[in-house]
Amino acid sequence: MDAQTRRRQLVAALGRVAAGDRDALRLVYANTSAKLFGVGLRILNDRSEAEDLLQEVYLTVWRKAARFDESVASPISWLVAIARNRAIDRLRSGRVARASLPIEAADDVADASPSAVDLIETGQERARLNDCLRELEDRQSAAIRAAFLDGLTYDELARKSAVPLGTMKSWIRRGLLKLRACLER
Amino acid sequence: MSDDQTIGAGEDRDFLAAEYVLGVLGAEERRALELRLEREPELATEIAFWEARLAVLAEGVAPVPPPAEVWQRIEARIAVKPAPEPGGLWQSLAFWRPVALASAGLAAASMAGLIYLAQIPALGPPLVAQLDEKSGQPGFLAASNPADGSVTIVPAALITGQQQQSYELWVIPPGGTPHSLGLVDPTRPVKVAVPPELQPHVSVDSTLAITLEPRGGSPTGQPTGPIIANGKLASL
Repeated sequence: MDAQTRRRQLVAALGRVAAGDRDALRLVYANTSAKLFGVGLRILNDRSEAEDLLQEVYLTVWRKAARFDESVASPISWLVAIARNRAIDRLRSGRVARASLPIEAADDVADASPSAVDLIETGQERARLNDCLRELEDRQSAAIRAAFLDGLTYDELARKSAVPLGTMKSWIRRGLLKLRACLER
Repeated sequence: MSDDQTIGAGEDRDFLAAEYVLGVLGAEERRALELRLEREPELATEIAFWEARLAVLAEGVAPVPPPAEVWQRIEARIAVKPAPEPGGLWQSLAFWRPVALASAGLAAASMAGLIYLAQIPALGPPLVAQLDEKSGQPGFLAASNPADGSVTIVPAALITGQQQQSYELWVIPPGGTPHSLGLVDPTRPVKVAVPPELQPHVSVDSTLAITLEPRGGSPTGQPTGPIIANGKLASL
């Protein structure tokens, strides 16, 4: 099934979830839970926390599916946003032991190649972001990827890269400015 | 932000939305931003921009199948009484249509029928509301179902469907702010599941209101469009 067909299916399923259709939620879960579990594990680095997160995410989807707007986001980017927000809230609550993260975590940030088997966005959207990320300095794009994938604060990112906080903040903010300009072109 | 030597603190707010999405903010900064979202739709738009664009980065994360019990836990939490059979009396607009033509008094009387049809077990008194349009005519009837914490909304008037827009249901506690209960359909009865944190608001003297919102619902979490109908909850 191509990405567009899958996207249309998920849009339709979310519409049915909004109307209280449990089978539609099961369909959304079957198609997206492995991706969201991967995202949650990466941020939380704890299986049981990631399982609780997943439950929280799909219960949120159950209640708030009516808020999904396909003109603003694709289904998967909406779901990823919910999962990341909840995961980061869990991290910041201090209940998850961040110390358990291997220190090398910051080094494998360049692995975010588009080779993943499940293409979650249309090729166009993916190519666009990757093109724009390539226009950034390596350290800027690496910091942005690390922040997104691992859910680290400025402070944690700075410590892992052994640079002053202000430097890390500057890398990311300058990167974001360039990224925004490029994405809006 | 005093240790930020490269970009002035005055510029902080320009980055807030992107930094929120990226995940680099602390817990307090995140809560503060989320509170502002209710009142600042442009901030919500900015967040949506970054969420849609940056989600592509998640492609670099390998999917991991979760254990089966996660779905079982979810399923247990969303279990409610089976929905009425499609095509049954409950779903039939033709059955409710005469209500639209009836007087407000008749509409109120039909609420008894509404409750009867809902077959609510004796878990607590169900609440009802008649949501009147500006004209004073009843636009929707609502009944809470204490058994599963849902609210059933039945259109009582023939509202011309707005294809490009959505009808959103809100509960407003006395003296409080509106909380969304999700979208309703002006052409057929809809059972709305009320999230546990909002259930205390579904109480006597709370107002139920339906507003016309952009398709998919209010982008800000607060009503943005005109009120189509509203009314107060009362015990039966």
